[in-house]
Amino acid sequence: MARVRPSDTQPLLPLDRIIVRDAPSDESIEVDVLFVGGGPAGLAGAIELAHLVEADAKAAGGLGEISIAVLEKSAALGEHSLSGSVVNPIAFRRLFPDLKDEDFPFRQPVKHEAVYLLTKNRSFRLPTPPTMRNHGNYTASLCEMVRWLGKKAEELGVDVFAGFPAEKLLVSGERVIGVRTAPSGLDRDGRQSSSYTPGTDVVARVTALAEGSRGTLAEAYIQWQEIKSENPQIYALGVKEIWETKKPLDTVIHTLGWPLPGDAFGGSFMYPLEPNVVGLGLVVGLDYRKTNLDTHGLLQEMKRHPLFRPYLEGGEMVEWGAKTIPEGGFYSLPDRRFGHGVVILGDSAGFVNVPSLKGIHYAMQSGIFAARTIFDALKKGETSAPYLASYDELVRDSFITDDIFRTRNMRLAFKSGFVLGGFKSVMMTLTGGRLFGKRIPIETDADVWKQARSPKALQPDGELTFSKVDAVFKSGNATRDTIPSHLITEGDVDREVAEMYASMCPAGVYELVDGKLRVNAPNCVDCKATDVLGPRWMPREGGSGPSYKRM
Amino acid sequence: MKIAVCLKRVPDTETRIKIGADGRSIDEDGVKFILNPYDEYAVEQALQLKDSAGTGEVTAISLGSSASQETIRTALAMGVDRGILLETDALPLDPVPIGKALAAELGSGDYDLIFFGKVAIDDYSHAVGTIVSELLGIPSVSAVGRLEIADGKGTAEREIEGGVEVVEFSLPAVLTAEKGLNEPRYPALRGIMMAKKKPLEIKPVELEEGGLSVVELSVPPARPAGRIVGEGADAVPALVEALRTEAKVI
Ligand SMILES: Cc1cc2nc3c(=O)[nH]c(=O)nc-3n(C[C@H](O)[C@H](O)[C@H](O)COP(=O)(O)OP(=O)(O)OC[C@H]3O[C@@H](n4cnc5c(N)ncnc54)[C@H](O)[C@@H]3O)c2cc1C
Repeated sequence: MARVRPSDTQPLLPLDRIIVRDAPSDESIEVDVLFVGGGPAGLAGAIELAHLVEADAKAAGGLGEISIAVLEKSAALGEHSLSGSVVNPIAFRRLFPDLKDEDFPFRQPVKHEAVYLLTKNRSFRLPTPPTMRNHGNYTASLCEMVRWLGKKAEELGVDVFAGFPAEKLLVSGERVIGVRTAPSGLDRDGRQSSSYTPGTDVVARVTALAEGSRGTLAEAYIQWQEIKSENPQIYALGVKEIWETKKPLDTVIHTLGWPLPGDAFGGSFMYPLEPNVVGLGLVVGLDYRKTNLDTHGLLQEMKRHPLFRPYLEGGEMVEWGAKTIPEGGFYSLPDRRFGHGVVILGDSAGFVNVPSLKGIHYAMQSGIFAARTIFDALKKGETSAPYLASYDELVRDSFITDDIFRTRNMRLAFKSGFVLGGFKSVMMTLTGGRLFGKRIPIETDADVWKQARSPKALQPDGELTFSKVDAVFKSGNATRDTIPSHLITEGDVDREVAEMYASMCPAGVYELVDGKLRVNAPNCVDCKATDVLGPRWMPREGGSGPSYKRM
Repeated sequence: MKIAVCLKRVPDTETRIKIGADGRSIDEDGVKFILNPYDEYAVEQALQLKDSAGTGEVTAISLGSSASQETIRTALAMGVDRGILLETDALPLDPVPIGKALAAELGSGDYDLIFFGKVAIDDYSHAVGTIVSELLGIPSVSAVGRLEIADGKGTAEREIEGGVEVVEFSLPAVLTAEKGLNEPRYPALRGIMMAKKKPLEIKPVELEEGGLSVVELSVPPARPAGRIVGEGADAVPALVEALRTEAKVI
């Protein structure tokens, strides 16, 4: 039986293209602090910093005017934001101590919750493990939360630039001095069309990388600086749909088991957003063992299960999207998340608690901590590494590290298979992580061998189940057709590898045509799964990709 | 040359429109708003005229709610020099009161050219530009596809059924822009940054009620699902058959 190791055909991250030493152009823009990525991490950071600057001005602290900017690649804030999402309100409360929970852009408090183990036709209710309890949390849409945070940031004078992806990290010596945004108006062959606009250099005293999961600039920085971690980072892919349903749902539901094969780690969620609007998704670790695993296909299959079908039947799928999640946990955190003129926030640093499927409040809290550190550094007039080091300490002494440390081996235990992994994770929960507490060493997802299997054909009915083409349409993807490919492939790859890409990619970017790999780059919804297992994802023209509304 | 461009804030064409509880308005919750696409051609044309003249000023004027400031900022980011918001809570369906409010502002501005988009993609009335020209007593050319201005005179081309109409006019004049008049520029990062510092004047206005009211809004019937008749050349006869008997288009 043929086997495939994804790393054998994966191009290296092109550091020379991402990290540039050019002097900033004359047309550059100067700001004091730049947040790259308008997600919960970047926006919370910008807001906290603006609050601190404002308070300093009121107290005649002498810092003076500080310009804060956020760069976001999606056409409008929130359009590339996708989460479950059940949110822990703690970071919202800390960011806005004067507001009440009712003031936040949440949809409803979690009233009931249930965890099920699924077989093909049945479901067994399990006791809710403590790590998965959601009492006190709220259901919400990350798109809506991000738009709300963006408005707050702008009210505080933060410059939010949506539609401007950062493409390159500008450095001088060991110091990050800013970014260059992606150009727009290139044709399919990379030539300048009549609407060509070159990228803009944005120079900053501190650049905060908050690009979310698998951040390109953050990855490049970590590799360039050779920042180590005890374990490599690993990822899962989540595919999510929003349904307007006929039957109301009042319970936060998680499932384990079917339709996932026994050698894959993951589970599903179904969250009520409004009584008749649900978010439904399936999350699968990218260390799965057979090349034909197709997360989108499995989600389609899952909707036929008697647990889900009664809610969805007769309803309408109104949105579709996909995104990766960093799953390595505590041992995969980079040894340092700061450097000369730079800090790394949120998912880009790996602050995600996998058993509870939570990252939003960690992302926001990391932004808040970074803002405090940056503020102190600005006060001292020095933003080199030693002045930004306190960011790591603030994170280390906070609930971010406590939570992630407690569940440090749960995801890793599943490397030994679902049943044994399940047993170990129960023991870890019972002992607060002390049993099986020693680090379980792991390899990167791309180094895990996969058995070659031919792809499974999807037979969507267009009502309950959907093809990848229909799915991409429902993501609101309106990327220009004539855009140059932003995916770096390794030339001709074997049939097995091409089939693995085609199965893996939920957006139908990869196809096998006449035995060759074809790349439909405009389909891409920036989930980054490809960047983990195959072709490298690079920032492309601003506004490309999905336009999520309520993900 | 002093140029004015009139702008409207409209729902994005990609937005899934929902009808509000009253059955007569759009539910704006979660709707993304944009600068009316035809107005983008108008802005671009104004900027090109100013650029080629080497001097002048372009003013963007919008009638609408406070949120229309965002729409004006988009034009400022593209390169327009200053903005005026004629602020009102709600716009009537009747284009006449809208035309009157705009004409009152434009009349005192001493503009050589006043641009509009040919139509706003939300209410599709096609009327406001022409009404303004009438109220101001100056010529107007609608749906301009090509434009030249020289020595205080203008030549505009309009695409009409089966041909092109060439119109000459004197300045000042009102022009409404057709799609394809030019290729509107994207605001650059620098432009957006600078737009924040450009003047944007807000003037509250009272509109007349007008003679039209919306009785009911309804969504068009869902389109029946498509069908793949086959692939490649072999499928052509089946396709022709289907077009003839099912779709009845050939
Ligand atoms: C399927 C799924 C379900 C989840 N469920 C939950 C849940 O229920 N509760 C919970 O708390 N967490 C959940 N998470 C995790 C949570 O969504 C993330 O941890 C959180 O969004 C991280 O925030 P962030 O700001 O670090 O990154 P993101 O939210 O990813 O934001 C990063 C932003 O940066 C932008 N960006 C990236 N690169 C660039 C660039 N080069 N230039 C400009 N902009 C850029 C992106 O477009 C994006 O808007 C889930 C995640 C997934 C995928």
